Amino acid sequence: MTTTVAPITQDCLREQEARRIRTARPDLGARHDLTSYDGLTAAWCDITAEGDAGSLVTVVLRNFDLAQWVRDTCVFALGVGPQQAADWRTSFTRTVFLAGNPAQLRERFRFAHTADDDSAAWTTPGPAALTSSLRRLLKLFDAPAGLPPRPDILVELPDGHRPPGRPRARRDLYVATADCTISEALVHVNHVLAEAVLDGLIAAGDHLVVHQVPRIVGLSARLATVRVTTEKHLPGRLKAAAGLTEEALVA
Amino acid sequence: MTTLSVAGPRPRPDAVDRPRVLLAPITVTPSKPLTPSHLKGLLWTDVMYRATRPLADVAYRYSHTTYHPTEQTLGFWEFLDRSRGATDYGDFTEERIGELYVAFRAAERAPAQALLPYAEAVERGWVHPVSTRILQLWSEHYAALALHNPGLLQHQPPGLGLDAVLERLTGLGMCLDQREVGGPVYLDLTRFGLNLRRLVAADGRPNYLACALRELIPLAPDFDEVVLLYDHELDPDYRQLERVLTALGPRVRRVAVGRVPVEGRIHSARHGGWRGLHAGTLIDAARAEYHEGAVRLGMRLYFIAVLGPGRQQSFRSDLLRQCIKRAARLLDAAGPETDGAALQDRLAQHRKDHVYVNPYRLTSHLLGKRRAAPAADLLRTVFL
Repeated sequence: MTTTVAPITQDCLREQEARRIRTARPDLGARHDLTSYDGLTAAWCDITAEGDAGSLVTVVLRNFDLAQWVRDTCVFALGVGPQQAADWRTSFTRTVFLAGNPAQLRERFRFAHTADDDSAAWTTPGPAALTSSLRRLLKLFDAPAGLPPRPDILVELPDGHRPPGRPRARRDLYVATADCTISEALVHVNHVLAEAVLDGLIAAGDHLVVHQVPRIVGLSARLATVRVTTEKHLPGRLKAAAGLTEEALVA
Repeated sequence: MTTLSVAGPRPRPDAVDRPRVLLAPITVTPSKPLTPSHLKGLLWTDVMYRATRPLADVAYRYSHTTYHPTEQTLGFWEFLDRSRGATDYGDFTEERIGELYVAFRAAERAPAQALLPYAEAVERGWVHPVSTRILQLWSEHYAALALHNPGLLQHQPPGLGLDAVLERLTGLGMCLDQREVGGPVYLDLTRFGLNLRRLVAADGRPNYLACALRELIPLAPDFDEVVLLYDHELDPDYRQLERVLTALGPRVRRVAVGRVPVEGRIHSARHGGWRGLHAGTLIDAARAEYHEGAVRLGMRLYFIAVLGPGRQQSFRSDLLRQCIKRAARLLDAAGPETDGAALQDRLAQHRKDHVYVNPYRLTSHLLGKRRAAPAADLLRTVFL
């Protein structure tokens, strides 16, 4: 029988988000009362107002398959060097998604990682100016459809460098699909995965089970990290848009 | 008029080994009076067509059917039917229809769904009576100015449907189709350093570039040279079109013709402001004073030789009048007919490495101060 862990309360969501902001930018933690909804939204406004300052990753997407993209997002993030990772983390793993075909672009642009089937490609984290010509050439990825329904799927990350003594782990990745476009889901899941990799929660060879659920409620495992966003129709309230559970060992 | 096969590549005519040229100007949306800018483009294309014909097999493709599926035409029709109900447009003037068009452009856009019945009907050859009325009025202007009528009122569907053209582009490695995620379809020439260009919006509406591709992709392989005539403002799109068509075989020439500013400003027809200054009124005013031949030649002298390819000079009715007067003198002094070969030689002087004859160089040549009067056959073949 599955047991349900304690529900994700508003307090819990505020704490999670406050911790995320403080980890990346202690100055914002000092400037705003991150225990309140208003304080969090004020911090988000500051982050948005910083615009193109800081480190940025550009992802070019030809087409989108959630499981494959989850795998490649992790592979890319695992390959980011320590200094670039630190800068990108400070910029809240800011990422711009563009419509484009990596196969058409590789002669003109250098990518840090490209999916095996050329469905997506990632630039190295860096100042926005480094990718401005790529961003001028392409258009923002516009995917207003909802995520197509699919069964839970196991994503096995390829083997690679693992921290010594770190056993192979398995986590569940939950994506909330209700009232969420593919464009929005990309942003949410990208932050969860990129930050989890940079924070060492996900390592090479780990397994992720991707679950699409209408809402992230009634889970049987605790969330180690969660993407917090506002409720579109409930002013003043937060919700979990995506989340990664605490680890279990791969049998 | 020239009828084009869109079924597939045609065999070259056996008897003659003349180059085959396709003139493909951008069309004017049939929803408003023809402004001086439109008139310039039409006269420019007409002189190019008629001057190139003695030297090559020329097809002049100008199909309103092709561009009816664009939002500005379908949206206008839907707006009229929604806001006015059944209306007899048979006696409407161009100005009156133009005012309705300006009202449409100022109104909120209808959702894509509302345009679907119109889009489907267009594919079957249906045209809203308001555009039929405009095209009838334009046909009269064409006749008055002796412009070659490329079938304004004919159903001339493009050779490929939307899905078929996207498939062809995919085959050429030039399409990025993101409809699977509810997104747009793009023309993808990024490997040539050209910006990703949307062809079909996320809501399914094709733009004019998609329409142009539906028409020109199946036609282009039949020709040695394709000449694209368009406004300067559309230059980035026409560079894209050039890339696609070049991949299909022909040499592609882009000829950008600048718009005509009025009182120093280039107006978009969507804002109106043509009162007293459109093809109908200009033709009527000229014909009240001068004979038909002088009006035809004078209009060409002004809009081609005087205004030139750029867009620096504002429209000046006094200069237009002077040109018509000058035309009347040129016609009175016209030289004797020459033989066909001499005419071809004279026309061929106004080319560079291209097959088409440059209308600006040819027309300007008539205005040279110390030149002999133009031969009657040149005037008749190209300008009257």
